[in-house]
Amino acid sequence: MAVSEQSRVTGDRRIVRTTSAFDCGGRCPLRLHVEGGEIKRVEGDDVSEPDQLRACLRCRAYRKHIHHPDRLTYPMKRVGPRGKGAFERISWDEALETFASELTRLKEAYGNAAIFLAAGAGYLGSLHNGPAAAARLLAMFGGYTTHYGNVSSEGAVWASLTQYGSVMVGNSREDLLNSKLIIMWGWDPARMISGTNTTYHLIKARESGARIICVDPRYHDSAALLADWWIPIRPGTDTAMMVSMAYVMIKENRHDQGFLDRYTVGFDRFRDYVTGVEDGVEKTPRWAEAITGVEASTIEALAREYSTTRPAALMDCQGPARSAMGEQYNRCAMTLCAMTGNVGRPGGSAGGGLMGIPVGHLFRGPSIPGQKNPVEVGAPSVRGSLDLRLRLNRRVHINKMFDGILKGRSGGYPADIKMAWFLNNNFLNQLGNTNKAARALQSLEFLVVSELFMTPTARFADILLPVTSAAERNDLNRPWPSGPYLIFSNKAIEPIGECKSDLEIATDLAEKLDLKDFNPYEEEQWLRAFVEQNPENAQHIKDYEKFKRDGIHRINLPEPIVAFKEQIEDPVNHPFDTPSGKIEIYSQRVADMNHPLCPPIPKYMGTPEDWNDPLTESYPLQLLTPHPRNRVHSEMYKVEWLREVEPHRAWINPVDAQPRGIRDGDEVYVFNDRGKLAITAWVTERIIPGVVSIFEGAWYDPDEEGIDRGGCANVLTNDVYSGGGASVMNTVLVQVSRT
Amino acid sequence: MQKGFYFDQTRCTGCSACRVACKDWHDISAGPENWMRVLYTEKGTFPDVFVSYLAAPCYHCASPVCADACPVGAISKREGDGIVLVDSDTCLGNVECDVKCLKACPYDAPQFGPEKGAKMRKCNFCEDRWTEGKLPVCVESCPTRALDAGPLDVLTAKYGDLRDAEGFTWSKRTQPAVIFKPKRYEPHR
Repeated sequence: MAVSEQSRVTGDRRIVRTTSAFDCGGRCPLRLHVEGGEIKRVEGDDVSEPDQLRACLRCRAYRKHIHHPDRLTYPMKRVGPRGKGAFERISWDEALETFASELTRLKEAYGNAAIFLAAGAGYLGSLHNGPAAAARLLAMFGGYTTHYGNVSSEGAVWASLTQYGSVMVGNSREDLLNSKLIIMWGWDPARMISGTNTTYHLIKARESGARIICVDPRYHDSAALLADWWIPIRPGTDTAMMVSMAYVMIKENRHDQGFLDRYTVGFDRFRDYVTGVEDGVEKTPRWAEAITGVEASTIEALAREYSTTRPAALMDCQGPARSAMGEQYNRCAMTLCAMTGNVGRPGGSAGGGLMGIPVGHLFRGPSIPGQKNPVEVGAPSVRGSLDLRLRLNRRVHINKMFDGILKGRSGGYPADIKMAWFLNNNFLNQLGNTNKAARALQSLEFLVVSELFMTPTARFADILLPVTSAAERNDLNRPWPSGPYLIFSNKAIEPIGECKSDLEIATDLAEKLDLKDFNPYEEEQWLRAFVEQNPENAQHIKDYEKFKRDGIHRINLPEPIVAFKEQIEDPVNHPFDTPSGKIEIYSQRVADMNHPLCPPIPKYMGTPEDWNDPLTESYPLQLLTPHPRNRVHSEMYKVEWLREVEPHRAWINPVDAQPRGIRDGDEVYVFNDRGKLAITAWVTERIIPGVVSIFEGAWYDPDEEGIDRGGCANVLTNDVYSGGGASVMNTVLVQVSRT
Repeated sequence: MQKGFYFDQTRCTGCSACRVACKDWHDISAGPENWMRVLYTEKGTFPDVFVSYLAAPCYHCASPVCADACPVGAISKREGDGIVLVDSDTCLGNVECDVKCLKACPYDAPQFGPEKGAKMRKCNFCEDRWTEGKLPVCVESCPTRALDAGPLDVLTAKYGDLRDAEGFTWSKRTQPAVIFKPKRYEPHR
């Protein structure tokens, strides 16, 4: 395929308008300077200010990722023990012949359910999307077993669906400028981006007079930048603090009863819980102080300020929801948003953690047609249900993937898995309990990994397939909760080495398997169809060639998007998409599930590995595993320009460091019963005592004793999920010692 | 007219996009040579903590002491815009002259690669970009628009004339061409 002719030419250097397609929180227009088949420089968006969508440091280093000398450039087969990383070059023909014959052999021996598809979010473009291609292929082949849920936001998804019946709970970022008060709860957009330009909009809101309060165990970079007030809180106790804020509002009659009467159901049940009518425990600020470590007077002050400042945006991000009762935190936040009458109002917020906006949103991108997975035929319908157990009838929860591979049907999983195809992910590194994951990958009969780099997951492959980057093909992209805009990512360079896109690999494999009509179109035909036939794209983009040339289509809105504005302004004609048509503070659907971990009203409930678990006698510190800034989860890990920006370190307060004899810069072990890693200590006042923080995504690198020298936080996390399906990455107890 | 930088310290998240963009534009390897540095300050005790960052390029001083220190006259201040430039071909390298320019500079602006004999290079104010009508790449890459660049009188008219910031001491002797909106330590409520 020829490199796009639409790219502008200046001298012998071409400028290619594109974007990366990482799972990064941003979606930034890039102008790549290409010369001699190589990206020589990266520039950003060039629309006039103030509308420039500015990339973060990661895409400023984009070319060092694309052209990294460690890129995989040809197919390989394993020649040493699995997991040791010894491989030998083979041809595409041999690689796909082996893949096809093993698929056929295992299907005949065990049935299609024994084939596992592990598909991640490492590339989020529309066409060359690995998960869509592999799912279509394996469905045509007779079916497969796969996983349910995502690591990032499942608690928030479940909570939003419960309360509102929708995940589109966000307002445009521009709407932050209408807020008088912004409460950033567990939210660090300076690092996780959270929509291109989000931090810039927060800065502008603050400069326009908004007050910003950060509730977080860490004084992270967003708090350091923006917070008028930082309220440090013990991890996993956010819901308790919110419940007691509700208590203050109820006792002082500060809640908006008119709003609650008109738009919600079940506030009386929540009030009975908060005031102790239900269980005899009044959820006073004193009650919460003992749980959260936040002084009662602070909780009272925040509750009063939030209930009297209008409009106010409570931004409850997803980190605190990646905990053992995570969805309760987002549900409680949404309840506070309703109690203060901020839902559906400019400058307010609906809560719910996802912050998604409808137009142009990532969730809604077109893709190649799916096909019903024969292995899932006959599974119970999940439509409208909040009961995770139905969704796990034929699938494995994402954070139980490796447990499912190890235990199969005898462990209560839907299938005995014999082979797996991992693509678009580094799940060994990025799901709970990495040491168990390594054991699980050892147990498979056959493992194929499609990758750009020799990741910790790729090291376990029997067959390793080299994949092109976003710079090596044309595709469409959509933003995270920002914009709205749509992006055409133009191909900048020819594929590196023998790399192929996931779609091209699946197309070639389909031929080996004699599957007809898997991919009848050329890239250009697909992309044109995606633009011209997808209703949302077609509504906005009238000229495909111009879209391709510009690389971006910006959607101009007369005013910022405000979630649920119609439901609030005109509730008769615009009910919420819940059974009651209202905001469900009490959910009958949840009550009917009769699930012990899913109360029908939001509640604080203690869990194993909480701050007060008896396990703290052995492992007294809580672990957080937030997003790094200098890589995208575990992607871009190899890029030296990014690595040198910040060493990989464990945050620890001097109060915890000193009794352990740990000084700043010391090498330490962080460990629990699941694993042990070596890392440099960063002794800092920026973290609450009792808590250690390690950015996720560093690559697992176990030594002969099993100590992870790479500092992969997931050797410490657990492979469990909450009642609503949140992957529990932030409910973890550890100990720290000097090496 | 002397050109210089403006840095709004209250907008800096310490993300280092400026530093990486600088390495990209000028094609500088990973390692110790950083024409743009991002310096970190942490003060106070939990929970009253203060954090600030300082974007630190070359400030293209009115009296560049690096030029005075150079034994072979490899560093010069350009007429017209006051940009301080180095002729790396003339520079003796980090071994022979023992980095006299770096020792003289109060801001560590002169930079050397890791290899023996590395010649001094440093921020050149993206002089090539100005000719294309572009601002320095650090300015155009900053996600929070914390940086600006231009003739000092224009910057002063726009942003005022504050010459200090957290982690920065204005040198009367060298007179760096930079103005700031500094971040001040204010106890949390």
